[in-house]
Amino acid sequence: MSPTTPAAPAPIPVTVLTGFLGAGKTTLLNRILTEQHGKKLAVIENEFGEVGVDNQLVIQSDEEIFEMNNGCICCSVRGDLIRILGRLMKRKDRLDGILIETTGLADPGPVAQTFFTDDEMRARFRLDSIVTVVDAKHVLLHIDDAPEVKKQIGFADVIILNKTDLVTPAEADAIAGRIHKINAAAKIHRTQNSAIDLRHVLNVGGFNLSRATELDPKFLEPSYPFEWAGVYALPKGEHPLVIGHCHHHDEGCGHDHSHEDHAHDGEEHDHHHHHGPEGTLDIVVMPVKSFAETDLAAARDAAVLVFSDWEKQVKPGETVVPGGTLQRLQIGEHAHAHFGLTIAEPGLFMVFEACGHHPLHIQVMGENVKPGWQQDYEHTHSHDDDVSSVGITEKGDLDGKKLNDWIGQLLKVKGNDIYRCKGVLAVKGSPNRLVFQGVHMLFDAKFDTPWGTAPRTNTLVFIGKNLDRAALTEGFKGCLT
Amino acid sequence: MQLTKHWAAQLDDYVIDLGWSADGTRLAAAASSGPVSLFATIDGARTDLPGHDDGANCLAWHPAQPALLATGGQDAKVKLWDADSAQHTASAGVGGAWIEHLAWSPDGAKLAVAAGRQLAFLRADGSTLHTFKPAPKTISAIAWQPAGGCLASAYFGGVCLWDADDFIAQKEFAYANGIHALVWSPDNRWLVSGNQDPSVHLWLPDTTDEFHMSGYEGKVKELSFDRDSHWLATGGGQDACLWDCTGAGPEGREPTMLPHQAKVCAVAFQHAHGLLATASQDGVVQLWSPERPKPLRATVKMPVPATKLAWSPDDGLLAVGSEKGVVYVLKVED
Repeated sequence: MSPTTPAAPAPIPVTVLTGFLGAGKTTLLNRILTEQHGKKLAVIENEFGEVGVDNQLVIQSDEEIFEMNNGCICCSVRGDLIRILGRLMKRKDRLDGILIETTGLADPGPVAQTFFTDDEMRARFRLDSIVTVVDAKHVLLHIDDAPEVKKQIGFADVIILNKTDLVTPAEADAIAGRIHKINAAAKIHRTQNSAIDLRHVLNVGGFNLSRATELDPKFLEPSYPFEWAGVYALPKGEHPLVIGHCHHHDEGCGHDHSHEDHAHDGEEHDHHHHHGPEGTLDIVVMPVKSFAETDLAAARDAAVLVFSDWEKQVKPGETVVPGGTLQRLQIGEHAHAHFGLTIAEPGLFMVFEACGHHPLHIQVMGENVKPGWQQDYEHTHSHDDDVSSVGITEKGDLDGKKLNDWIGQLLKVKGNDIYRCKGVLAVKGSPNRLVFQGVHMLFDAKFDTPWGTAPRTNTLVFIGKNLDRAALTEGFKGCLT
Repeated sequence: MQLTKHWAAQLDDYVIDLGWSADGTRLAAAASSGPVSLFATIDGARTDLPGHDDGANCLAWHPAQPALLATGGQDAKVKLWDADSAQHTASAGVGGAWIEHLAWSPDGAKLAVAAGRQLAFLRADGSTLHTFKPAPKTISAIAWQPAGGCLASAYFGGVCLWDADDFIAQKEFAYANGIHALVWSPDNRWLVSGNQDPSVHLWLPDTTDEFHMSGYEGKVKELSFDRDSHWLATGGGQDACLWDCTGAGPEGREPTMLPHQAKVCAVAFQHAHGLLATASQDGVVQLWSPERPKPLRATVKMPVPATKLAWSPDDGLLAVGSEKGVVYVLKVED
């Protein structure tokens, strides 16, 4: 009997696959199981799918929720997984990975929390990522009625926007935008037939503390200051620009706000404060080279800057000139007024409206021009998604105790609404990054790689329901030394 | 006192269960990958049984017929084997789930089988005697009362005592958490669960009394009672823990801590003698005499952590299953 001490094996990465029935989960699963990736995987399936492949371990399971504390969702875990994972530990040879498929309506919370239940779970398994497959064609039908959809998007580290062949690129953009608004920290991959390089799905480190240092700073992208944009092909000349409802005929109304068909709660109008004073409408008109995505994005980014600049007051009857000035149209209390638009050179023009509620018409030869492209930023960046992300970046060092008290109290009180949180933080006195991540009330934090010469900047994201951005930001700032 | 190697053997995979035949002439060991091996106690001579496709989970020797072995696996089958001829003699299923727990009644007339939420009693020939209504959650442990009057069956949320003869629920004890293990004291007085929360909970089924012992480092999956129903040994941390269950029970008493250098992963008292064997994740196996002022009697370090400990019926040999598939049979020598 040798005197060597056995080394603790590295934890097995676990991928959780969520998504509505029909989104393409099973296709993705089959792809993972049949592709030659040389990994020994165990798959825990909850729906009786067509999966079943030689050489990989497929286990059927019924979702069994263990409510640890009076049914509180934050304290619920998946009993079947505890049992099955417990059995999967009992192997001489290590598995390379475990995939857990959840049913379409499953709440990802208990699955994720299962990996925080006890030290043995933490030591043996590592929740690598939550991958949510979204059906691009149908997601918008469900997203407002089925809270599970937002929840699955909110929990995800990776989102596979599948079936993009069934929608237009603009529709896919709009969906991706809406998803990004809900979960700004997830990586979104667009696929057809769930075809994706498996390195984006397996062992991606989405939940991995050490790789959390790669947290994408882009999630802090500000909400756009406009709610709608359209691209018009316009000839040279001065054209009438009309704000408000057309009085003569409807079919010519190119500016078609699909959200007007939606049932909204009244709350959204509370957010009009940033659109400018009452009786005004801020617009920007930018020339744009083509309908190509990069050109549109360049114009959009330029418009973001213009919106933050000084405005030019435009009274009814006056004219608007394309370019880098914010035009504040005086539309009056009835939100209806006529202006002019001077086009010096014919071409494509992108018109941005701060408030998307006002129909906007450009008339050429007495006819409304239809925009060749339009996007409703009201939808992609609206305030009415109850599930959203709040990103915070602050330079400087944090007081460890204040941070601990704040996070502890926050998760205790708001843990039910906070689905996920992740962060890379600079704590005073430590040369290393503090990386942390959590699910509902449970969280895990540890020191990672040194900052070195990198600026000590705190990056933090919360994803959840009814998040109060101002309160979270203020609370976080209170933890700075 | 020391533990010396009697023989050792290598299985295909992690040793998920092992046990001695009633007469002590054979040791059966199941590899988690599926095969079940029989070893002659005297020299380790080996006979391999095919076991279960997809993986084996558990095994149980008949308490009186020394050649009758029951095994359960991920193929959702209970298999009965004749150890003399190494033949598979009968199969039974209980629903479609993994067979996770097997336990012969003390008289050998019934084999209790748990698979998912299903519980059933089989006869010794493998035929079904009774199928119970499904438990509210997956059955996580079963244990026969030593007197044989009932079977305790645990699930997330509680424990039910099923009458051995008319199959009715004698009692139900609520417990609002996960239960990993059940054990009865040999005098039938105590029923104890090892829990996820982490704690042990003790019921006195003849009364309405129950006791709760918390303060463990981790979930408690390892439980064993000594022959006198005096000491309850538990895992659940880096020390094995001994509770004095005499008189009014352990409440208010300090447990005796038996230290290890790593998390305890198995505990087993001898059948008719007083030694306790404990194993920890660092591969160490220790023997203890709880009554002594210096209870530690022997220490041995194996190259891999133990998964199961089983004393031979005469208490002379300790079988140790390991994570890497090695089965060690150790002799206790003074």
